[in-house]
Formats: sequence, structure tokens, C-alpha cells
Amino acid sequence: MYAATPVPAGPPAADHHRTARPGRRLANLLAATLVAVPLLFGAAACGGEDASDDPNAPVKISIFWWGGDARAKLTEDALALYTKKHPNVTFEKTWQANQGYFDKLATLTAGGNPPDIFQIDDNFLAEYAARNATLDLTSYQQSGKVDTSRFPESLWKYGVVDGKLAGLAAGENTQGLVYNKTLLTKHGLPEPTTGMSWEQHIAWAAQVSAKAGMPGTQDPSADYKAFWVWLRQQGKDLYRDKALGFAAEDVTAWFELWKGARDRKATPTPDVIHEGNVTDVTKQLVVTGKAATSWVWANQLPELKKNTKDELGVVAYPGDPSAQWARASMYYSVFKGSKHRDAAVDVINFLVNDPEAAQVLGTDRGLPSNLDLRKQVAESATDPAMKLSMQVEEDLASTFGAAPQVPLKGHSTLKSELTKAAEAVQFGRATPAEAARQLVAACTAAIA
Amino acid sequence: MALTTTPEQTRRPPRPVRATRRGSGPGAGREGLAGYVFLSPWLVGLLGITAIPMLLSLYLSFTNYDVLTPWPEVEWVGLANYRRMFTADPAYWHAVRVTVTFALVAVPLKLATALGVALLLNRTWRGVGLFRGLFYLPSLLGGSVALAIVWRSMFNADGAVNSFLAFFGIQGQPWVNDPDWALETLMVLAIWQFGAPMVIFLAGLKQVPTELYEAAAVDGAGPFRQFLSVTLPMLSPVIFFNLVLETIHGFQGFTAAFVLSNGTGGPVDSTLMYTLKLYISGFTDLEMGYASAMAWVFLVAIGLITAVFFSTGRFWVHYSDGSDS
Repeated sequence: MYAATPVPAGPPAADHHRTARPGRRLANLLAATLVAVPLLFGAAACGGEDASDDPNAPVKISIFWWGGDARAKLTEDALALYTKKHPNVTFEKTWQANQGYFDKLATLTAGGNPPDIFQIDDNFLAEYAARNATLDLTSYQQSGKVDTSRFPESLWKYGVVDGKLAGLAAGENTQGLVYNKTLLTKHGLPEPTTGMSWEQHIAWAAQVSAKAGMPGTQDPSADYKAFWVWLRQQGKDLYRDKALGFAAEDVTAWFELWKGARDRKATPTPDVIHEGNVTDVTKQLVVTGKAATSWVWANQLPELKKNTKDELGVVAYPGDPSAQWARASMYYSVFKGSKHRDAAVDVINFLVNDPEAAQVLGTDRGLPSNLDLRKQVAESATDPAMKLSMQVEEDLASTFGAAPQVPLKGHSTLKSELTKAAEAVQFGRATPAEAARQLVAACTAAIA
Repeated sequence: MALTTTPEQTRRPPRPVRATRRGSGPGAGREGLAGYVFLSPWLVGLLGITAIPMLLSLYLSFTNYDVLTPWPEVEWVGLANYRRMFTADPAYWHAVRVTVTFALVAVPLKLATALGVALLLNRTWRGVGLFRGLFYLPSLLGGSVALAIVWRSMFNADGAVNSFLAFFGIQGQPWVNDPDWALETLMVLAIWQFGAPMVIFLAGLKQVPTELYEAAAVDGAGPFRQFLSVTLPMLSPVIFFNLVLETIHGFQGFTAAFVLSNGTGGPVDSTLMYTLKLYISGFTDLEMGYASAMAWVFLVAIGLITAVFFSTGRFWVHYSDGSDS
């Protein structure tokens, strides 16, 4: 091989010493790379001053959210509206499905390149706020640049983490028990009502299973939001300050309540329960016909309705409905290191408080946070499912209790450990007490 | 020995010494530099995408890095992550058990299937090429997400597999939604993708000299005896190669477990493969320091397993070029 490439007969040994250099040059190159690469990353990670004082200087704001095509269309329209009013502001829009969204957001943040504005929910708000990734909006709120005066108080307060306003509620929702109305009517069964006790709900579900031949209710023992409501009705909570707001005995009682329900055949079999636990909203058991009720958020009703021909109804979770609260379905947060903080804050204020934007966005992210705009949207709503979910939430609003604190960091572990523990009980791998003990141990470690 | 390398196998870019010996002076130096220049796309990739991130992750494994905290504020925690892994995280050991079970069952079965089918296809009938293509097809789909999604719907309680079984009056299982069956379903998926080792086995079978079979036949060996005494020994380097590769591959299984369990490793952690546990720790729980520690333990473990294969290989791997002494 070497023979085939004749070595050029260069000038003689005059610069002979150079021949010994490539190795050292390579070493230098490696050293330079080792130094340069972290520097590059470091440079990308810092920076964060506002780029310009001129309010009319062109600004490009990056915004990232999760959701489907419908949400993308609405959001793009609303942002176009903003650009129309502020021609110097344009957007770099990125969106994707919920699965993998938070992985991506975390990676972008770690790479020092997060979007200026991102959508976030209460599962992760504290994780980001506690690590100073979100801009504290309190000063903007005080100066009126973020207007929460028309928000229900408990709603905007549900964006406060450690005394800082970490996110602006993009919409409101609350727990909703969605049931298959068509099935119940067909078999002459009563519809569930708000205020039924848990025992009454289970007895009702057992009756549905027996008469309609479809399990009456999904078993929500793996569902943190159902567990949460139930805890609040027992005078407990998911979190208290920096600790868990419940003990192993509470979890045991919760698991035993549902073990009783399974024994009475009020719920599907464990494998179907598992299916309901892991699927997204479009394949909840109430729409796939594997259970007569599903435990969801009230504002998901229109989305559920799209996936079934049957009529659906929605009521509060069983027990005292004052355990439910005006929950921020999701928030808009501004990255603390954003170069265009003020402009980004103005955009999120626009998205929640501008009448035209509210009209475009509708109830896609939950009921509009601004009560005036909520009324306006409700009056012009045409989709019956959307009207129903707004109606139910309005009815519940009169009984809402105070909002709990935003979940602590480590909340994602609590959710997955609850699912694991509940399924271990359902599949007979553990007793309620054993599973409860493991759950509390794992969660205590995770939030420490 | 197997690992003995000859100069031909590890031809390096010319070193200055050799260049000087050949007396070609500066020209060779330039040639060496050119070598590195041509090498640079690979070198940049190796450093930027593999080596530097790996070293950084080694550093991170001794910290409490949580993805969101800026680098300067990351705290050094010493061996805390490793201590937690080995002493305080039952889910970690559970993931190890799941992964080892998966590899112990799926890898031998996959190799046996691959070898069996390769033997069948190592003949000359009409259309054998078509069959080779068909059997290889699932491997082309590799670790694809789409394939795992199809698998999930096939092995649902009301999926195609149960409909098929019901046709014969057999009561099916909820497969992927049952902790007793979910991992088995993953194993079947892995075994089904036997195409890649099969093709390598086929190539190996073609290399076995026919005169050995003829000689064996003359000595009165039947087909089974021929397989044991001719095919297997002659094929042992290929078996060895496939075994090492597939074992590593088996331990790293991620996509199917991730898709089948919606990223949870459920039901009841029955499909919590090591890499999935690592991913959940790093990206869902945001404990990237802990996840990095897991990755390093994993790397060392796979390295050890491979080393064991190589050290035992001398007892059963035969190289016909005579270098196996």
C-alpha cells in the first residue's frame, strides 16, 4: 500500500526536526480540545442579561410546549396575534407530545439552552423552581406587568414555590370522575353524583358491574390525584412543608379500600387496571369500554368525548368535594437566564389576559385563568362536551377548598412508586401494609 | 492465542521512526500529519461524542448533579451514589435481576434459533435466498420503536396473539399487562430478531471445508455426529463472536422495555431493565449523578463479562489457521 504512493522527494534534511513533531502536535491538539470543549459549554451556559433597552429592537423568543396538533394550531394562532400587535417580536416555536417532553426540557436546560418560555405542570414546577431555573414573577406581578387580579386567588397562588411566583397558571382544572352515560341509561342504572361517599361509589360500581356487565369503575389506587383528594378528606395531604403529609397507615387504608372494591368486582381485573394506569387520555378505560368510569381531570372531557360515541358525564371525585381545589392545569414559566425576560413575561401575560388570545386558545389548556375571559369563552362555546366540562367546573368552584402546596421535588418518584405499590397489591405481590411501608420509605428518601 | 495480533491486523499510521528509517524525511512527516487530518472526523467524534462525555459522566457519578443545577454548583458527594446503589436501593437490585434473567434466557435461545435456521438455510434449494431475506427482515427493524408498538398491541389482552390462541380454544394471557408474562414477551421479541447472528452463522457455515464432511462421512459419521464434531468446532469462532455481541446487546436492551411499559418498567417493575432504571433515574427523577454511577457500574460489569468470555474462549474456540494453540 505504501509502495503505491511514492514519497515526494522534498527538500533534504534541512527541516528534519519537523518529522518528529506530529505526535506532539497531536497531543497539543488533544489538550486544546479538552480545554476548549468545556469552555464552549460553559459559555453557552452563562449569559442572561437583557439584550437591549430599546423596546422596539427585534426580539426572537423561543417557546416550548407539549400537546397535540390542535393545541399547536391554537398556540401558533395566539402567538401570531401577539406578533401582529408587537411586530418586533417573533417566535421560535417547538412542541411535542407529553411523553418525553420533560426529558427534553431537562436536557435543554442542562445544555444551557432552554427556551425563553416553557409550559410546565405541577409535577415539575417545584423541581425547576427549587433549582432556580424559573424566573420569579413576583416583581412583575407587583408592577402589574403580570396581571393576576382577575385570577381566582388560590389559582395563582398554586404557582408559588418557596415564596416565589414560579409559573403563571395557563388554565384551571380539577379532578373529574367521567362516566359512561349511555351505558347507565341503557341498563336503567343511576348516575353517580357529586358528594357520594367512597363506599357509596364502590357499591354503585359493583351494581354497574353486575347489571351492565362492564366493570363499574377503574381502580384508582395507583392514581396520585385520587389518592390526594382522599387524603385531604381524611385531614391529611400529599405534602406538608418539606415532608410527606401522610403516613404508611393512610396508604394501607387506601389500598384496603380498593382491595375491597376489587373483591366486590366493582373494578376491572389487575391487567386491565394496569392498562388504564399507563395509557394516555385517549385510551382511558371509559372510552375503550373496559370500565364505566375513569378518574381524570374535568377539562379532559372534550378530549375523551372525541374517542367514543357514547355520551359521557362528569362529577367530582367521591367524598367531600371541598377536598378539590382550583388547580393550575399547567403553567407558563420564563427561564431565569433568558436574554429577553421582560419581553417573555409580556408574552405570557398576553396569553392569559388578552381577550382575543383567550378567544383563540379556548379551554385547550383548561378553563381560562382570568375569570372575565372565562365568562367570555363560556358564552361563546359551542362544543357540548366543552360546555359541560365548563359547567361542571363552575359548579364545583363554589365548593373548592384551599389549594395545597405545590408538590415537592421528588414528586415524580412519588407518582411512580404509588403506581408500583398499588399494582403490587393488585397482582397479589404484596399486602397493602407491606406495599405502603415500601412506598413511604421510597418517597421519604426521594423528597429528602 | 486467539488474541495474538499480527502486524498486518494493526497497521498504524506511519510513525516518525519508521519514516526516518525509510529515509524519506519531511515527506513522511507530512504524510503522518495528513493521516491525522484524514482521521480527524473520527477523532473529533471519538473525543467529542464518546470520550469526553464519558469522562464527564465519570466525574458526575461522584456528584449530586440533577440536570437543572448549573455546573459550578454541583456538589461532590464522593462514593455516596455507589453506596446507595449497592446498599440502599432495592429497585436497583431488582433491575439487575430482571436484566440478568432476560440475558440468560433470551441470548442462548436467540443464538440457538439463529444457528438452527442458519443450518436449514445453508442448503441449495430454489428460493433459499428469499427465505434468508425473510428471516433477516425482523433484524432490519432492529430496536425500532414502531416494532415495539406493534408488539404491544399484538400481545394485549385483546390483541392478535390472543385472538389466534382463541381460534384453537386456548385461553390467552394479558401478556404485556401481567407481571408474570411481560418479561417473557420481551424475550420473545428479542429472540424473534435472530436475523443478524443468523447471517453471520450462515457466512461461517459456508467457510467450513466440504472435505471435512466427506472425510467424516467416510469414517462413518452420521449427520448428528458431523454436526457435533465438524460443524460446531469449525463454527466456534463465529459462535464466540455472536455470543459476545449478543450478550452485550442483551444487557443493553432498552427500546422494547421502554415502549412496552410506557417508560415505567411496569407492571410491578417486571420489565425494569437496567438501562430503563438508569434512564428513569436520570431523566424522570433528575438524579443524573446517580444515573452516571449506574452507567459506570454497568460498563465495568459488561467489561468483566466480556473478559470472562475471552478467558474461557481458549478452551472451546478453535481457529483453523492454527493460531489457537
